[in-house]
Amino acid sequence: MKRFLIALFCTTLALPAVAQEDALRDLPGFVDFGGLNEIYGEPKVNISIGGALLRFVGAMAKNEDPEAAAIFSKLKGVRVSVYATGGNAAAALDQVSSVKKSLSALQWAPIVQVNDEGEQVQIFMKMNGEVMDGLTLMAVDDEEAVFINVIGQLDPNELAGLMDDFDVDIGGGLDINVD
Amino acid sequence: MTDYKDSDTDMREERINALLDGELDDEQAEQLKREAMGDQALARSIIEAYQLQRAMEGMRVEKAPASLRRRLKRIPREQRPAYLQPGWVTAFAVVPLLVIAVALMQRRAPEPSPAPSQPREPTAAEVAQARQDLAVAFAYIDRVGERAGNEIELELAGEMTDAVAGSVFRTIQHQKIL
Repeated sequence: MKRFLIALFCTTLALPAVAQEDALRDLPGFVDFGGLNEIYGEPKVNISIGGALLRFVGAMAKNEDPEAAAIFSKLKGVRVSVYATGGNAAAALDQVSSVKKSLSALQWAPIVQVNDEGEQVQIFMKMNGEVMDGLTLMAVDDEEAVFINVIGQLDPNELAGLMDDFDVDIGGGLDINVD
Repeated sequence: MTDYKDSDTDMREERINALLDGELDDEQAEQLKREAMGDQALARSIIEAYQLQRAMEGMRVEKAPASLRRRLKRIPREQRPAYLQPGWVTAFAVVPLLVIAVALMQRRAPEPSPAPSQPREPTAAEVAQARQDLAVAFAYIDRVGERAGNEIELELAGEMTDAVAGSVFRTIQHQKIL
């Protein structure tokens, strides 16, 4: 009971992030990944950024990096959930299969599908005429399950340039340098 | 001056430890929660301590007697073992903190709030935090893309090898060299 109350105490501090997630639900590029918390516990990374913050990030970057600003201005939301699978990827792979079915029913187009032994990478895109509504990436292996949903327009060619700006290494830990 | 600061830090740590040990009553816990809403450093300390406690529980170490634990808590920060140093704890807790920090900064919205039709303008700290979150998000996008690329390359390389080897084998067979 004590542990539950403390967990609740810490969780209430993060409630506005949940509200952010709810605000994105009505957008056409939103994908419901379901929940894996019961199996893997809390995600080790859980990010949900809405359009308002993205616009401000873009506005702040406008002078120093117009290309990055242009990318952010076209995004409406970015969501990332990463679970540690701890050598048991079965549940996450089932979840990927379930999400794949939902995406197909909602006219998402598969871009990349890699099915290897105990490892999957799935990339889907939702188009609305000439405009991209969203991009979904799911990658599962024995170490982690990554679920990413980019809502809005994202050009992969522009992404490469943006990564150079961010200089992020998530290999063994988290090393961020946002200059 | 330093002693005064240390004394404040000690009191803060004692309250956090009391919270984690379930020794605060409802009113005291509520008071601490209110303070954490307005004090990011305090909130961070609570979360770090909670995560450290969970990590320690996961190690299945037999719990020391309460009296010993109380004495250990009084050891100055500098004399603590490496795994209790804040740097280690921060590294362990960094990812959840990114999310919680945004939440905390959102709760520290300036008052009075703007007109209902106008969305609240995020603070510079919120935008900076969002930028860091985006950095992490795009790093994962990059990594998934790279993983897909590697798998495709491996698959194509395998097929190319088969194609070349098969072709050579067929040529050899055709010319009856073997």
